[in-house]
Amino acid sequence: MKSLRRLIYPYIAWLTVLIIIPFLFIVLATISTFHIFNSYTFRFTFDSLRFLTDPIFLNAFKNSIKFAGITTVICLAVGYPVAYFFANIKSKNKTLYVALLIVPIWSNMIVRIIAWENVFKPVSILNLFNLSFDMIGSDIAIIIAMVSMYLPFMIFPIYAVLDKMDHGYIEASRDLGANSFQSFYKVTLPLSLGGIVSGIIMTLLPAMTAFALPERIGGGTTILLGNLIEKEIFRGSFSTAATVSFVVMIVMLGFFMLIVRFDKEGETLL
Amino acid sequence: MKKLIEIEGLTKSFDDTLVLKSINLYIRENEFITLLGPSGCGKTTLLRILAGFESKDAGIVKFDGNIIDDIPPHERPINTVFQKYALFPHLDVYNNIAFGLKLKKMPKDDIEKAVKEALKLVKLEGFESRNVKTLSGGQQQRVAIARAVVNKPRLLLLDEPLAALDLKLRQDMQYELKEMQRALGITFVFVTHDQEEALTMSDTVVVMNQGEILQIGTPQDIYNEPKNKFIASFIGESNIIPGIMLKDYLVKFEGYEFECVDKGFDDNAEIEVVLRPEDIELKPVNGGINGVVTDIIFKGVHYEIIVDVNGREYIIHSTDPQLVGNKVSLSFDKEDIHVMLR
Ligand SMILES: Nc1ncnc2c1ncn2[C@@H]1O[C@H](COP(=O)(O)OP(=O)(O)OP(=O)(O)O)[C@@H](O)[C@H]1O
Ligand SMILES: [Mg+2]
Repeated sequence: MKSLRRLIYPYIAWLTVLIIIPFLFIVLATISTFHIFNSYTFRFTFDSLRFLTDPIFLNAFKNSIKFAGITTVICLAVGYPVAYFFANIKSKNKTLYVALLIVPIWSNMIVRIIAWENVFKPVSILNLFNLSFDMIGSDIAIIIAMVSMYLPFMIFPIYAVLDKMDHGYIEASRDLGANSFQSFYKVTLPLSLGGIVSGIIMTLLPAMTAFALPERIGGGTTILLGNLIEKEIFRGSFSTAATVSFVVMIVMLGFFMLIVRFDKEGETLL
Repeated sequence: MKKLIEIEGLTKSFDDTLVLKSINLYIRENEFITLLGPSGCGKTTLLRILAGFESKDAGIVKFDGNIIDDIPPHERPINTVFQKYALFPHLDVYNNIAFGLKLKKMPKDDIEKAVKEALKLVKLEGFESRNVKTLSGGQQQRVAIARAVVNKPRLLLLDEPLAALDLKLRQDMQYELKEMQRALGITFVFVTHDQEEALTMSDTVVVMNQGEILQIGTPQDIYNEPKNKFIASFIGESNIIPGIMLKDYLVKFEGYEFECVDKGFDDNAEIEVVLRPEDIELKPVNGGINGVVTDIIFKGVHYEIIVDVNGREYIIHSTDPQLVGNKVSLSFDKEDIHVMLR
């Protein structure tokens, strides 16, 4: 055992260089005037925290919550039945069908975002079919694209739980007098709660911090937290960018604690 | 008494393997019937068809005189104690047991009372708020029993419900279940591997092997008049000796003729004789079947003595010990000779 422990040293090095040290810089930048190209004016200050009450930040925060929230709700409503259906496939080719769900994740996300961008532009290949949309910058377009991006991340954790669930529990509930609806609602649903929570977080977090998607499909007018961070950096305002990142990280941490609470065995984390 | 369940020609196969081969069986109201048979003989499958979880390929299954093919499991007045317990992991002991009663919209006070009673029956008082995942195997099994019996169904299916319990607890539970069956008038279909359990608890024993019913009868019938060698050896240890039925009431084996109580075989039919180990007495050598003691094992209540008779080993249970090497003679009453077809 002891000799095997040495095998994690590379990971610890990676963790330190790429995660812990940058994280400390973010913390430092949040509470000071820290700037890599401008170190001689360095002093500690909480000025940047004032940005958290700035309408620009509040608007981005609101947008992130709104789009991520709506996307997550739609993904759950669409994804749960899909996961349920796939988990209950009896066929020998089950693995193949399930693999079909993964394939979309394999294709590059930027490529898919640009594809959606083209669909929502007035002039696109869809004109060939006498279709034309002018939806860039609309909420609907962003939500459609987000749902298509993040749906698999909702389906998988739920599928994983439902697939592993012992059919004996459902039979036991039927035996005790539950019809199929009661059986679902009193047994299947509570037993898949861990998967639902994981799915929500796997969708909510990337959707909240989405950057490329609102950039392309939002047409530059709809700003989410990810876009705000980018803008602040380009503006040269390191501290405000770090502050926003810090807020995002705290929110993520909160959600992560939530997963751990609902899913003590960690069986649904992909 | 009225027939509660009638099964005719019930056949079931899984991917080309016949698991139940034209089963015929009826179960009377308030009967305690036990399915006894080796692993994989189709006991659980038969219960699952009764409960409505498995379809059948052919045959008729009637409940109260009506065919129940189209009645879904939740509408059948049947409850099951599952072989794998299947306790709901997200509910505590109380809510597991109350599950069926809540669905029936029973008033809360009545549910509480019923759950308490059920817990008392399975000797788990005070376990209401325990997480089922933290229970021992035997405790889980008892919660599974309580969860089923609390509903007081017309028919209770029990799939090896006592397998995980120690001897003392098992005997207590056997008694409690039997009492409850008498008191509540519930019909029991009980599955077990344990022949002693089958014989002590049942009104009727059904011996199965490889998807077929070999014999149906009272425990006495099955024990004393096993129809064939398989049943005889499955129902406890026994000595099975080939012989010839010379005529009614006269059988010949080991070179001697014996009077017996069996009749109805063809004259000179080739038969097998079953002699139970506890029915044989060892006497000093005389003119009968003689042999040599080759081994003796202390079994608690009795000694198990192995006697070699011309190369055939007999097992004898006796409270009197013997010395290895002793020459002895086997003695038995004519009622203890059980003849079956070879
Ligand atoms: N769903 C299934 N698919 C395929 N074969 C099955 C299925 N269920 C049962 N079988 C087979 O049917 C046969 C009978 O199984 P069953 O569970 O009824 O046996 P059993 O008598 O209850 O055995 P045990 O005493 O070990 O519980 C076995 O050979 C088993 O492998
Ligand atoms: Mg079984």
